This record gives sequence, structure tokens and C-alpha cells, in this order.
Amino acid sequence: MTNELVVRGLTRHFGTLKALDDLSFDLRAGHVVGFLGPNGAGKTTTMRAIFGLLDLDGGTITWNGRALDAAQRRRFGYMPEERGLYPSMLIGDQLEYLGRLHDMSGHDARTEAQRWLERFGLADRANHKVESLSHGNQQRVQLAAALLHDPELLILDEPLAGLDPSGIDTISEVLVERARRGCGVLFSSHQLDQVENLCESVVIIDHGHLVTSGTVDDLATSGTQRLVVRVEGDRDANWARELRGVTISEVTGGEARLVLDDDVDSDVVLRAAMSAGRVAEFATRRRRLSEVFREATT
Amino acid sequence: MRYLVLVTVAVVIASAVARRRRARVKSSSTTTRRTLELPFVRGSVGIVAAREIRERLRGRMFRVGTLLLLVVVAAAIIIPSLHHGHTSTLRVGVVGALPVNQRAQITRDVHLSGDLATFTTAQTLARASAQLRKGQVDLVIVNDQRVVVDTFATSPQAAVIAQIAQDLGVARALARAQLSPGQLSILEHASGVPITSLHHAHVKPADVGTSIVGLILIFMMLQQYNTWTLIGVMEEKSSRVIEVLLATLRPIQLLTGKVLGIGIIAFAQATLVVGFALMLAKSVGSSLLHGAAPLELVSILAWLLLGYTFYSWVYAAAGSMTERQDQIQAVALPLSVPLIVGYIVSLAAAESGHASLFVRVLAYLPPTAPLAMPALVGLSAVTWWAFAISVAISLLATYGVARFAARVYQRAILRTGARVPLRDALALRPRHRAT
Repeated sequence: MTNELVVRGLTRHFGTLKALDDLSFDLRAGHVVGFLGPNGAGKTTTMRAIFGLLDLDGGTITWNGRALDAAQRRRFGYMPEERGLYPSMLIGDQLEYLGRLHDMSGHDARTEAQRWLERFGLADRANHKVESLSHGNQQRVQLAAALLHDPELLILDEPLAGLDPSGIDTISEVLVERARRGCGVLFSSHQLDQVENLCESVVIIDHGHLVTSGTVDDLATSGTQRLVVRVEGDRDANWARELRGVTISEVTGGEARLVLDDDVDSDVVLRAAMSAGRVAEFATRRRRLSEVFREATT
Repeated sequence: MRYLVLVTVAVVIASAVARRRRARVKSSSTTTRRTLELPFVRGSVGIVAAREIRERLRGRMFRVGTLLLLVVVAAAIIIPSLHHGHTSTLRVGVVGALPVNQRAQITRDVHLSGDLATFTTAQTLARASAQLRKGQVDLVIVNDQRVVVDTFATSPQAAVIAQIAQDLGVARALARAQLSPGQLSILEHASGVPITSLHHAHVKPADVGTSIVGLILIFMMLQQYNTWTLIGVMEEKSSRVIEVLLATLRPIQLLTGKVLGIGIIAFAQATLVVGFALMLAKSVGSSLLHGAAPLELVSILAWLLLGYTFYSWVYAAAGSMTERQDQIQAVALPLSVPLIVGYIVSLAAAESGHASLFVRVLAYLPPTAPLAMPALVGLSAVTWWAFAISVAISLLATYGVARFAARVYQRAILRTGARVPLRDALALRPRHRAT
């Protein structure tokens, strides 16, 4: 059976606020999935619920068809939104300690800790305190803590936040590598361009419930049709302004980005453009993930 | 003085060992370091407890605190012994003859006051007087008929010297009476009639001293360990490492491991201090070990452990409701009030040698029993079954407190921001964990 996390009907209130509202989604092993949503959408609450860190009003979470228990959760890796390490504990000891809490032997935990520190360029810092590291390096240690027990599922809350491009590349590389080795990866981020490059699929939530999910390709090509059209001699795309069911989203250097209503045929637009002048460019355009996100959450 | 030198050397050696150990920790690599394992506690609780032990042992606060305790104990034992050593010998100058039986009587008189007697013979009264003026002898006996002192009224051994003078006078009177040897033997072997007391015997000074030192140790150690627990829990919350930890283990496992780890360190430190006190007291011949003091020491260790077990849960729960140093003060102060009250009342009882009704009541209340009950033991004012009842009450109360604290901890530890009010921490909502 393929490892699969199934989230069904999660509901949680904080006072009068409905933080999770019948939220359901799936996460399959070997996939990197972006978990997106505006601030306060319920992403962190969902991740905490997966690790049993808060009580729910309703809903179920299963792994391979079985209810999650503490032993299963110890085979997952978790990186919380607010980074959590002992500031004055030695880095090597800290990783060993966390590895042992994930059922590793002391020897295995030390070996893996050293390996991951070498991978992240921190091998010589094993006997330093966490508080002596920069923010980016603390984040690398935090990721090492989530990885050293070779988890079956990785849940990372904003792992790219506050990192420089080099740090983002390192973490992206590791996440893809883990997915190729059969690990399921779910991570939240507001850096949608990075998510688009990194993820095969996304889950977008808002106000605690699912608004859309699917592969990045499907989401980019689904929904309203988009065209990029350039007509020579008409830099402001005036030819398109009177077309019924066509909205100009952007005009740059004579290149018009058009959004077509569902009942509008692109042939109609092409004919209108040809009648206005010589058509230098006419192409359908994929939606960027940021556009998918905005349309889904507004 | 030699004991002070010994203690100084011991402190220097301990500091050097601690420095060496620290240097070794810094220089060792991750892969060569051994994992600290607790042989008697397995699983997550054991792992958490082992971390607590290792981090505490490494901490400067622990090493300095232990050294400080050892110095305090050493001072408490050595200073009275040094004081006692100055007055332990009564130097008797002798001019002319002093019969053997009279020397023995003088030795007995001096010994009854807890001192020793030495005799120095002088050829002439003038030479003996010179020695007296120089302070080389404390009194001079001239031809067993006269006693000469430097300044009678201010002599610290005035009572003993008066007794010696009295005994010399009685010896002269007996000689004049020309008694038969049998009559003399009867008089020489006369002993006092028995004394019957309507009240229990007063506590010996040695037991009082042990009791006071023990109460100070219990109070200092409980304050120290409670603070460790409080700050340890608060730091896990404020650093947010708590979220990583609770993703792998249940709150009660983390809490139990922490309490156990700090408890092991606490008991080890207390045992070290008491062991050090025993060895030092024996080597200097301190009166702290006489009488019922060994029983008192056992009682101190037992109640230190019981007190820590009771309070550690309370302080851990309090720590889970805070995440800043300023919030700590607000919760720690009310919690320390019972300890302070117990300490003051128990100390007053130990010093007065009288067990008041108040201290007897406090000895059965779990928050104050760790101080009041050792005080009663020191005063010999408690029976074994009363002691056992107090232990049983304390254990039962600890069980209830642990359950209460675990609930507060579980509800408050992941709530960040402002201090969590107790009523919120205890609020019950019918929810379930994701399954």
C-alpha cells in the first residue's frame, strides 16, 4: 500500500473563531505538496492537529488507512512555524536527543546528526550552542532535526521564511530528494514562486476550509482561459476593449494579457485582433500559482 | 586552622576537576561522545530525564551551587569544632606534691565540663606565677593546699577551678579526719543519687545543631530545585522547543522525565553534601554526629526527597503558564510562601528546643512537612508511627498534586503570549485528538 495521509473533516474553534471548518485533503508519499493559504487560514492549526498538539472539535487523520498514534507520529518529521531548539544546548547533543525521541539508538542518532550537519556545512559547529548560530543556520539545524530519523512524512511550517537564496536552494534540494526517496512532504509558504518551482501539487485553504487542490499543472491550465496578444500599431490594446466577455488584465509594451469568460471562444478574439492590424503574437497562457492563489482566496 | 586549609584545597580540586571536565566536553566530537542512559528508566521518560541530568551537571549554576553548599556545611561543622578546640585543655601548673588520687579527681572534674586537663610541674611558686602571667598555664596548685589563678573573676574555667578548689579542700578535710581505709574507699567511690525528671530529657546541643543545619539545607535545596523546574519548563515554552518535543511524546512523559531527572540530580547532590558532612564531622570529631543526629540526617534526606517530589509538580505547572522572566516572579512568590513559613517556624522550634503545637500541625501538612517533620525528629518529639503517617499523607497529596499539575501543564504549555490564567488552564472542553 502507498503511504498516504488522509485528512477528513477537521473542525476546530477558538472561541467564536472557526479555525478549521470541515477541512479535508490527501497527501501521498513521494510528493512535495505546497500547503497554501492567507495568514490565519488554518495552516499551522492543521499541522499542529496532525501532530496531536491540539484537540479537535471533529475530524479524522489517518496514515495508511489507520488512525494516527504516538508511535506513528514519531516516524514523521516536523518543523514548526516558530523554530524550537534549546538555545544553550550543544547542537550535536540536541540533534542526538531529538533523534532518540524518534526511537533512534544513541549511536545512530549521533551518526545521522553528524551526517546532516556535514550536509548543511555545519560539521564544525556540533559542539557549539544553537544560540551562537545565525538565523539561517539555526533553520538548517531545525531541518536536520526533522530529517535525521529518515521520516516517512515531513510536515514543514514556513521552512523557507527568512532564508537567503542559498538557504532556499539547499532546503529545496533536500525536500525534492526526500520525496524521490518515497517521503511525503507537506510544507507551507507564502513564497509562491518557490512553491511553484518546488511542488508537484498544492492544497489551498482559506478560513479553515479547502478552496482548491491539485497538481500545479492542472491548476495552471484550468479555470478561465488566458491569452497574450500583440497587435502591431496598437500599443494600448484598444482593439480588445470593446470585446464582450474579455477582460484586459495587463498591457505592457503593446502586449495585452486577456482573461476570457467561459463562453468566449478564442477564435473570436483572434479574428478581432486580425481585423485591428497585423497580429505579432497570439498565445494561450498558463496561470501562475500566484494567480491561482489570488483567485481562490478572494 | 588546618581544617580550613583542607577545605580550601578540596574546593580548589573540585573547581579544577569541573574545569577539566568542561574542557573535555568542548573538545570532544559528537560521534565520540557517549550517550547518557538511565539503566532503570527506559523510553521517552528516561531520555528526557537523562538530558536533564546531563545539562544540569554541565551547568555552571549547579557546580557553583554544589561548591557553595559544601563550603556552608564545612563552615557549620568546622567553626564550632575550632571554637571547642581552644577551650578543651585546662593547663594545671603544680608546685610541690600533688597525690595521684587528687590528680585523677582534678582530671575528672575537668572532663565533666567537656575539657581535658594537663599537668606541668614548676620548681618554685615564682616560676609558676610567671607561667601563669604569660598564659602558659591556667591555674597553679601549690602543695595541694592552695590554688592560684591570674584573674579569678574573668577566667573562662572559673566554675571548674572552683570545683577543683572544693575537691582539694574536701581531700584535706578527709585527711584530718583520719578515717580508716575502708571508710575512705566508701567516700571516694560515692556517687550521686538518681535524678528523675517529670518531663522528657532536653535535646542535646548536638541534635539541635544537626537539625538547624539540616533545615537550612532542605530549604536552600528545595528553593534551588524548584527554581530549576520552573525555569526549565518556562524555557522550553519560550524557546518553542516544546512543540518539537510534544510532536514525539506526550506531555506527561515530558513532565515526568523532567521531574525525575532534576530529582535524581537533587538527591545525588544532597547525598554528596550529607556524605561530605559525615566524613568531615567524623574527621574533626564534631559533636554534630552524636546522639540522635544520624537519624536526623536520614530524616533530612527522606524529607528533601518527599518535599522535592511534592513541589516539583507544582512548580512545573506554574512554569507552563509563563514564558518570560517577569511572569516567573508573579507565580513563584505565592508558591514559596508555605516553604518560607515552614522554614521559619521549624527553625524557631529547633533553636528553642521546644516543639510547639503549631510546628506539630505543620509537620502533617504536605507543603510544610518537609521542614517541620525533620525539626520534630531533631527535637525527639515524634514517634515512628506519626512520622509514617506524615509520609503517607505527603505521598497521597503528591499523587493528587501531580494529576492536577499534569492537567494544567497539558493545557497551558502550548499557549503562547500572555500568562495563562489558572482558570483557563483548568477549563474543560469536550474535544478529541485527531485519530
